[in-house]
Amino acid sequence: MLNIKELNVSVEEKQIIKDLSLKVGSGEVHAIMGPNGSGKSTIAHTLAGNPNYEVTSGKIDFNNEDLLNMDPSERSLSGLFLAFQYPIELPGVTNASYLKQIVNVHRKHNGDKPIEAGEFLKMLKEKSSKLNIPMDMHSRFVNAGFSGGEKKKNEVLQLDLLNPNLVIMDETDSGLDVDALKSTSEAVNQLRSSKRSFIIITHYLRLLEYIEPDYVHVFQEGSIIESGDKSLANKIDTEGYAY
Amino acid sequence: MTGSKTNNCSIIFSEKIDIKNAPDNLDIDLQLINDQITGYINVTKSKIDTIINITNLRKKHFNLNLNIYLDEDSFLGLRDESEYNFGSNIIIKSKMNKNSIFEYFRLNSFLKTTKNHFIHDIEISSNCEFRDFNFSNGSDEMHNKTSVSLNDENASYVGSGVMISNSTNSNNDLLIKHLSKSAKSDCSFKTVSRGVSRVSFSGKVFVDQDCSKTVSNQISKGLIMDETANINLTPKLDINNDDVICAHGAASGKPDESIIFYLKSRGIPHKQAEKIYVEGFLGEFLNKISNSEMQQKALKYISTHC
Repeated sequence: MLNIKELNVSVEEKQIIKDLSLKVGSGEVHAIMGPNGSGKSTIAHTLAGNPNYEVTSGKIDFNNEDLLNMDPSERSLSGLFLAFQYPIELPGVTNASYLKQIVNVHRKHNGDKPIEAGEFLKMLKEKSSKLNIPMDMHSRFVNAGFSGGEKKKNEVLQLDLLNPNLVIMDETDSGLDVDALKSTSEAVNQLRSSKRSFIIITHYLRLLEYIEPDYVHVFQEGSIIESGDKSLANKIDTEGYAY
Repeated sequence: MTGSKTNNCSIIFSEKIDIKNAPDNLDIDLQLINDQITGYINVTKSKIDTIINITNLRKKHFNLNLNIYLDEDSFLGLRDESEYNFGSNIIIKSKMNKNSIFEYFRLNSFLKTTKNHFIHDIEISSNCEFRDFNFSNGSDEMHNKTSVSLNDENASYVGSGVMISNSTNSNNDLLIKHLSKSAKSDCSFKTVSRGVSRVSFSGKVFVDQDCSKTVSNQISKGLIMDETANINLTPKLDINNDDVICAHGAASGKPDESIIFYLKSRGIPHKQAEKIYVEGFLGEFLNKISNSEMQQKALKYISTHC
């Protein structure tokens, strides 16, 4: 599904990612762990096409297409989804209106008609309920005044609405209390399938206790220094990144 | 007053002046002489809210000189959703007697090449509320000047202006005079400037020395969409009493690229992302409009002109 080959990425002329190579197969869950400033979020934003991140060399194939030739919106329509570490606020636009628009843009891409208001409301109720999101949150402006946990849940709700096949979760666990972490993880686990892959970026083991990864990669100074299974995450949790 | 029932009447300006369905509590006298419309609207107390819908169908420059008087405990809604394709010169003097409410909506479209001037002086008495909402797309020459005098205790002003300029110009001046204690004013101005637009907003709040317990908020924000566009926002405070709460803020700048990226990361194409962002920016204060029908019309205006 995803094949990153010898990728180098700079931000404001400072190299952050160095010769990174990573393969993610269909249905696999990869966890990327690493200390602050190791380049984890850079990978997430580079995959999503953030223009502030300059790819200086390397290649990324996504479903046999050249991801780097795609605009951020094309990447999303092709099935890539980034759950942001810091979701932006959009004053003046209600969450319901925003969610309906993102659903419809994907429906249009798939050749479907815009969703009927009643059908959308039903879908929104059902998916919000899984995440313990109260419906009145959707009449508020997008992320404006939301708590950290509400913002993260709203990200996972969007993931559920858009049905992507590659999900990058950038520190989705930060800002979540224990109950929210559990309900969010349960919702993510329900979305796991043989056709959907995940890259989970996190500092801590706690998210990976709920969402079992197939592979764990340790990131340091823009490169993967070690890969393994979940036992590697346990080792980091016990011994820290200086193990 | 301000119940759910409304009495809707209309004034249609064309080659003549048509006044339709005017209720008994409304006294309207308008004369059209030599392309100049002059007259008055007087409103007295009624159990049913009085709404006047204004329509301009004149095929020439629109000149209006109007006096509006609201009697004690009266309500007037004035709604103008007209196109001014030949320019306009509107001068209004209003006076609100105690416990009255005046709600003035202007959702107007102007032809770019026209000249448009609007002046409104309003005197507000005790326990009155003036709600003033103006949505405009500017023109080559446009001046909007509103002067609000909060003359008595608990007089209140709520105003919101939205200016969407696509290579048009507009100068917007708002003067709010707090002349008695415990009066309130709340003003917001938002603008989007594209192409070679020039938009200015000057919002002055004056608080007289005897005006304790004054509460005043003013915020103005602008989005500059092109290098050639210009926005000038100038808040001014002249406060002569210490026992007041007065806040003001002004900010203008380019669109926040991180918001555009966020929207694009959800599959929304660039142009649509920009439109959603701008509509949200302009619509941030629409919750000040308590009337849901007019709130929807304001939303539609923004969506159409963005």
